[in-house]
Amino acid sequence: MRPQIDGVDFAVDEHIWGHRLYDEQLPHLTVLEFLGVLGSNADNPLIATPDETVRYRPQRQIRLRGLLFNNPYVESVHERAQSDEDKWKQWGALFAGDATGIGDDNMVYLRKAFTSFDDFAKSIELLRSSAFEARSNKRWSSKFVFPFGPDALYEDLRVDSGGASNDRRFFARTGEILYLMLCRAKRGPELGQKLVERLYDAGAPMNRLVKALQGEPQLAQDSRPVGYLPFATHPRFDRLCDDWLAILSRDMPIYDALEHLIASAGLNLLLYFLERAKAQAGDSDPVELVCEIVSRERTKVRALSGDSYQANQALSLRAVRTAVEQIRLDEDWAAALVSDDPQGECLQMMRAWFQWPPTKDDEEADHTLKTGDELVRELVEKATSRHEQHFGKIHAAWSRSIGLSSRRLSRRTRYAPNDRLLKTLVIAIVDDRMQFDEFLQEARRRYGIVIGDTEGARLIKERQVDQEALSDNSANLEKRLMGLGLVRKLSDSCSFVENPFIAEGSE
Amino acid sequence: MNATPSGQDAGAPPSSAWVRFLRSYGPTPNDLNLFDEYVTGALGRAKVQPITLTSPQLEKMKQRIESGAPGSLLIAGTAGDGKTYHCRSLWIGLGGSPRDWAGPAQVKKVTLADGRIAIFVKDLSELNDDQSDDALGLLERSVLGGEDKEFLVVAANHGQILERLRDIGFRQNRTNPLRKPIQDAFLLSGLVPERLAIFDLSRTAHRQSLEEVLTAVAGHPEWGNCLDCALRSAGRICPIFENRERLLGLQDGGVFARRLGDLVEVSKLNGWHLPVRDLLALAANMILGHRDAREGLLACADVARIQDGGVIERGSIYDNVFGANLPRRRANDRQVFRALASFGIGEETSNGADGLLVYGADDTKLTEAFSQFVGNDAIYGATPSYLAAQRAYLEGEEAARLDNGAAQFLVRLEAQRRRLFFTLPENETDYPFWAMTAFRFAGDYLEMSSALFERKAVSETIRSRLVRGLNRVMTGLLIENADRIFVASSGGFTQSRISVLCDTEAPARRVGGIGMALRLDVHTERPTLDVALAQGSGGSATFNLTPVRFEFLCRVAEGSLPGSFSNECLEDMLAFKAKLLRKAELLGSARLTDDEGEAGSDEEALTLTFIEIEQSGHGFSRPVTVRTAP
Repeated sequence: MRPQIDGVDFAVDEHIWGHRLYDEQLPHLTVLEFLGVLGSNADNPLIATPDETVRYRPQRQIRLRGLLFNNPYVESVHERAQSDEDKWKQWGALFAGDATGIGDDNMVYLRKAFTSFDDFAKSIELLRSSAFEARSNKRWSSKFVFPFGPDALYEDLRVDSGGASNDRRFFARTGEILYLMLCRAKRGPELGQKLVERLYDAGAPMNRLVKALQGEPQLAQDSRPVGYLPFATHPRFDRLCDDWLAILSRDMPIYDALEHLIASAGLNLLLYFLERAKAQAGDSDPVELVCEIVSRERTKVRALSGDSYQANQALSLRAVRTAVEQIRLDEDWAAALVSDDPQGECLQMMRAWFQWPPTKDDEEADHTLKTGDELVRELVEKATSRHEQHFGKIHAAWSRSIGLSSRRLSRRTRYAPNDRLLKTLVIAIVDDRMQFDEFLQEARRRYGIVIGDTEGARLIKERQVDQEALSDNSANLEKRLMGLGLVRKLSDSCSFVENPFIAEGSE
Repeated sequence: MNATPSGQDAGAPPSSAWVRFLRSYGPTPNDLNLFDEYVTGALGRAKVQPITLTSPQLEKMKQRIESGAPGSLLIAGTAGDGKTYHCRSLWIGLGGSPRDWAGPAQVKKVTLADGRIAIFVKDLSELNDDQSDDALGLLERSVLGGEDKEFLVVAANHGQILERLRDIGFRQNRTNPLRKPIQDAFLLSGLVPERLAIFDLSRTAHRQSLEEVLTAVAGHPEWGNCLDCALRSAGRICPIFENRERLLGLQDGGVFARRLGDLVEVSKLNGWHLPVRDLLALAANMILGHRDAREGLLACADVARIQDGGVIERGSIYDNVFGANLPRRRANDRQVFRALASFGIGEETSNGADGLLVYGADDTKLTEAFSQFVGNDAIYGATPSYLAAQRAYLEGEEAARLDNGAAQFLVRLEAQRRRLFFTLPENETDYPFWAMTAFRFAGDYLEMSSALFERKAVSETIRSRLVRGLNRVMTGLLIENADRIFVASSGGFTQSRISVLCDTEAPARRVGGIGMALRLDVHTERPTLDVALAQGSGGSATFNLTPVRFEFLCRVAEGSLPGSFSNECLEDMLAFKAKLLRKAELLGSARLTDDEGEAGSDEEALTLTFIEIEQSGHGFSRPVTVRTAP
């Protein structure tokens, strides 16, 4: 029996991937939402069986985010040649003018926290400099301070005269899904413990600064359940969890590790999205990402990586179509068709599977008069058109966001990983050092990334590309990684990929 | 004069056979995979004395075997390091016959005087899987098992042996126990089992190898034949002999060879490996190179033509060093020319040097310097054709005004810049020779390196420049401080360009176990920069100072970093910075735990240290206190 999903017109994508993945919730926003769920469950982090309902009560931190992102006056007041007293007064008046009234009407505590207005202004500037998208033109309530610690986390909100509400604009439950995935990974609890230790240190200096600005935390009114993830286990959940554990074990500051956690989450979520689409469409081949390593010279791999991108882009729509159409292959459907009331039975079955057609039929069409096939056709149409609005854009949006795809030097989008993603791959894969060819194999095994001729043997066999082009491609990667200080060349024939953040004590 | 080169011709110049033999060492297009075998044959045909290089490694190999110590030998190296040469010499030294060596068997056995059997594999890559499995099986038994009767002498390049060990591991469904120790030995980061002797030929000191090659080639007795050569009579200049003389360094007191040695040394420390075969090719090319010769390399028979054509300077040794006589592709095939090209000598210059080369002949202020540095060399310096080209360029003849009209002069200018690099006097301050390269601070680097090697103090100028560079990279601010190092963060990601928050500071010199120290890494023989934030081994992070990283820091310190400068260095620096921040993070949390027992003054106030800059560029830390008590 499929669970009921609230707030949707019908449930198709939701049963393929979960409720829900959302294109505009880019990986960093996903991780921020995830951290909110984790923070609310810090006593029991990443521990929940698939049957349990995970709940959380996010923070809102209206004062903190107002000070950082809805406070354009602080610089101009700071620059005025006036007494400290006057600066506080003038700023206070200006800030009050824009205040939301949600706990931000009395800010006098700031004067006690900071010795001078200038110190206050400097602190604001510091926090803005590391914030996510501080300069973008997003609404101020969708901008986020760097997650320095427990006091720096809050949910995305819409704030207007009616108060504050979560409109799921950027926190659309993908972070909740991430939380569930990691709960269901074999080493989830171990990861949960480590994340809480490293990221929820209330005493970390930057967290204390944030707390000085925010004061006591502001919470959402109620706790709420997280979204729905259809699978109790999945190899991708374990891969994601192991990657995160590997990244956290490296000898680097936690705030740096976060960048790699985000990229790794993005990559693994993207692969989950593609793998699920493939499986749903009945394609059992592993997902492949043929990557061009961009170099000065144009290569044959460019066209190939473009094709690979296009092929993967098409997967999810096909999955949606099959997800609906497969109802006709079910034996109950066959039984329904030969029953006394084929239309009614099919309708019932459609409802059980897809929560559609709606029971209260306020649409012009009367679904009870339609045949099963007509219903299927209609839902395919609705589902594919809804899919194209958001779910269908996930591959493009996320792969660009993590630096996997690009249009550099070309009109066509293709897989062409950037330096940051390559660095994340090395940090996640390489414990201390690894021969270069092994690294390529491992990237293929874990993420389906095809770069060299060994990994692309199938493509060579099918004559899609010649061996030389792919081996040049891997030579380009070797050069790129060398440029990033991640490859040490022993001689012409032998190079090693090295993790610059080898864990303490392993060397 | 006979135009067909042949040592047997009565009319041929006296050194023809020798020059032809030397030419075969040069960067010709033939891909000589079987180089050792080839040279052995060529030597017989030319009937000249061989070019002999001592091999300290060979003696050690012999000693190891003669000592009777059990276990096997691995001769590792990259192409051209002389693996086959060493293997063959060792074979003959142990009593193997040259005939057996030349035979087709890939695996050869020789019984030693002490009754042990040495099994030779001169090239692991030639073996099929079964042969290779046998050989590696013996390797393992003789090293880790109790096999004392037989042992292996195997030559392989680094990648091959590691791959073979990995493959055999896959087939046997286990991890071969020799793979990790051998890999670590190659990377100089671990102990090798006692019964395995690894001779890594790519580890030899390059400067010494170069000196030895130059002596063996330029000082070869066959050159004596040139003394009677008609091509050198009546004031004629033979470019071959001229280049050989310059290489020998009788005129310049060895400056040329020393500068070349510097380039090779700096290349090595930058991670280039220059096999002996490449150094031999370089030596042959320096002497025989000429742009108008077949394959870019002269034979004696070409010399008269070159002399008559007045184009001797097109075989300038200073161009030949960089393979300018070769088609670019062919030069790029050789590691040594790629390494030397990375110095940008010829393209890099200073205003002073170019002023001298362009206006020097006319400008009275420059006349003296011009005659001293350029005019003094009538063969490769101020040649009549150079002076003519210079005049044409300056007087703006019509041809020079056309597009590319000056191109020819620019090529000559490059040649002159190269010459200046090799000929400017050591202490010339107006025209420092390192300024003619992309590594303007390489002189300082070598000075620092040798100071560390001799356990002397590093010059204050160098040290403070390094600290200034380091501080600028750490903070992203143009600060001048040379007395302390700011370990700075932006609060968030280390990658952020500007970091104004000072996590901690360390003095610029090591005092009481804290601060920055310059040291020599015993394995790599490279200087390292070690910053300790706390006493003890856990409190410090180390940064290998390659010449290119040193250059990067110095240029950042001087505020003149070209945009094209390697991104690699910045990445390396950011990784180092991240490591220091991690140390600071760990120390910070340790300190917190220590303080927990005391009165919690820390709990009520938080101090953030901002880095601010004075007008003078001096950075200082300004604490901002935030009260965090409710």
